[in-house]
Amino acid sequence: MFDISSFLISWLPLFGIYAILSLCLNMEVGYAGMANFGLVAFYGIGAFVAGYTSITIFLTFHGYNYPIYSQEAIIAMGKVAGKTPWLNISVFILSLILSFLIAGLAGYLVSYPTLRVGPAFLGITILSFGEMLRVFMKHFAPTGGAYGMLGIPHPFAWIPDSAIKNISFLILTLAILILVLIYFELLANSPYGRVLKSIREDEIASLCIGKPVPQIKARLLFVASGISGVAGALYAFYLGAVTPDMFITAVTFEVWSMVILGGRGNNFGALLGASFFSLLNRATSILNFLFSDLPIDPNYVRWMITGALIVIILMYKPKGVIAEKPIKTEAWKIFGAYGESRRKLIAAILKIIDYLRRAFYWLIGRETGYEPDIKGSKRE
Amino acid sequence: MNPILRVQNVSKRFGGVEALKDVSLEVKRGSVTGLIGPNGSGKSTLFNVITGFYKPDFGSVYFEGKRIDGLNPDEIYNMGIARTFQTPRLFGPLTTLENMMLSPKGQRGESLLRAPLRKTWLNEEMQIANEVKSLLKEFDMDGLYKMLASDLSGGHVKMVETSKGILGRAKLILLDEPTAGVHYAVGKNLFEHINYLRKAYNLTFFIIEHRIDLLFDYVDYVYVLHMGRLLSEGTPEEVASDPKVIEAYIGGA
Ligand SMILES: Nc1ncnc2c1ncn2[C@@H]1O[C@H](COP(=O)(O)OP(=O)(O)OP(=O)(O)O)[C@@H](O)[C@H]1O
Ligand SMILES: [Mg+2]
Repeated sequence: MFDISSFLISWLPLFGIYAILSLCLNMEVGYAGMANFGLVAFYGIGAFVAGYTSITIFLTFHGYNYPIYSQEAIIAMGKVAGKTPWLNISVFILSLILSFLIAGLAGYLVSYPTLRVGPAFLGITILSFGEMLRVFMKHFAPTGGAYGMLGIPHPFAWIPDSAIKNISFLILTLAILILVLIYFELLANSPYGRVLKSIREDEIASLCIGKPVPQIKARLLFVASGISGVAGALYAFYLGAVTPDMFITAVTFEVWSMVILGGRGNNFGALLGASFFSLLNRATSILNFLFSDLPIDPNYVRWMITGALIVIILMYKPKGVIAEKPIKTEAWKIFGAYGESRRKLIAAILKIIDYLRRAFYWLIGRETGYEPDIKGSKRE
Repeated sequence: MNPILRVQNVSKRFGGVEALKDVSLEVKRGSVTGLIGPNGSGKSTLFNVITGFYKPDFGSVYFEGKRIDGLNPDEIYNMGIARTFQTPRLFGPLTTLENMMLSPKGQRGESLLRAPLRKTWLNEEMQIANEVKSLLKEFDMDGLYKMLASDLSGGHVKMVETSKGILGRAKLILLDEPTAGVHYAVGKNLFEHINYLRKAYNLTFFIIEHRIDLLFDYVDYVYVLHMGRLLSEGTPEEVASDPKVIEAYIGGA
């Protein structure tokens, strides 16, 4: 009834997509202190750009001129999606690039007027932008209005075996995630990361030591929104369909929960948060599917758990599960801390070995393996 | 010698409050210049105008002969004016080292494009770290490099705040009440430190201070503001014996 590999295949791509989103949000909120309450807007823009671009190119290439949201177009896409591997791949790559650029530009433009005033303005402006965009898209005929677009050509649609097709997509998604993670880790552990943190702590003071704060923020928003757009494009290709209502504000707050739970200002914390919440997400959907007559919808339980967890985390671990660390640029080596940290590492390893040894003795003989402290007891 | 800073007929009002009225003054290169006046007399406002936080309603500000009113605070810092605030503003959750390493301007690794390419900035980074180390050593703080700024003692915070401008190659440092909230002895020590820095690094200091007894031992020249106007100026002795100043302080604002 439940096998692990099909679970992984269904969970990992979603994890990858959410992890990319939470890494982006972590850059904005965790490092630079920018309250991006409208993340979903850029995610959605990416998805729509990818859907629109790929379907349009496919239909044009194969000589159809149905409107892309029409029934005929969907049927036509079903016929041609698997015929031309090179087209699938190149359309996929092109869509990711366009999603990045357009979502990034949107992030830059929407935020630009608000960057000189406090963080709350930025948050509210982007939040309303996202909602306005969603409502607008519901009434925007060229992308299918409320029904959105169906039949987005999967990059591996030409692989007949659907398991291999899904695994290929999964690997691609995780590869993009790893690239994003490496990029953000490099950014974070550099003088640039240090500047972002200074902006988060005190914009005015940062301005006073010569950092062009509005410009830095606008550029970061370009990059992070662009990458959120790439996540949206991946989502569109994963599902094969996009509708405006997939991009409600709740998505933004789900990603916020991931970042808060995992640890602001720590990329690995963001990953942890993403894996936890995407698992919870899958778990409730599976529960929903397996037990259709539960007295209460597991999806509501999910939100309750999310809320409760955030309260608990903020009370007991206000910095998140994996707390922020000082940036690593090796400047501290100058202070001779290198040897010190190596000593600490060795001590930690010795300690772990000791624990293992104790665990071992405990397992085989239920004894700690320590001699009783004879010297101490003699002295008494 | 021409002055490093020249403020010319500056006026600034906030609604009904005339915080500065036609203020003109000069700060000599290499001097320690004081700025005193009762609470609310416009001292901090003047600093905010000089460092680009407020645009003056009238008048102009020149730094090394170049007009700087109208520039943004980051541009003014990059020209060579560093400042502190009345309440300390170090970045609390960052270490002392990180706080100081933020000061040098135009670092290569601070650009979004170069940051991921370690090779392009690592050398510069190590150079800055070396400089930070030797600066911290000068006042026996190199052991505290990895302490979070929020955990530093008040005296140490002041030391870091007054010194870090040096890393940014500042020529003029504006200090807003550097000894506020610290013990007299610590304040004295801080002024000794300021005096030392001025000589060692060829700096100019412009200092707002309420502890006039302390300030007058160390400054070359003093300006007195009262209700937004320049009330008096001169050497500490001249100002201390000016009846207008005594009146303003005793009469209270
Ligand atoms: N941003 C502002 N908006 C409105 N009024 C202001 C603003 N900044 C300063 N003021 C007013 O301008 C006047 C001068 O204030 P300022 O802070 O310059 O005084 P100060 O000499 O630094 O006083 P203190 O010794 O208390 O620090 C005060 O009346 C103050 O209320
Ligand atoms: Mg003041």
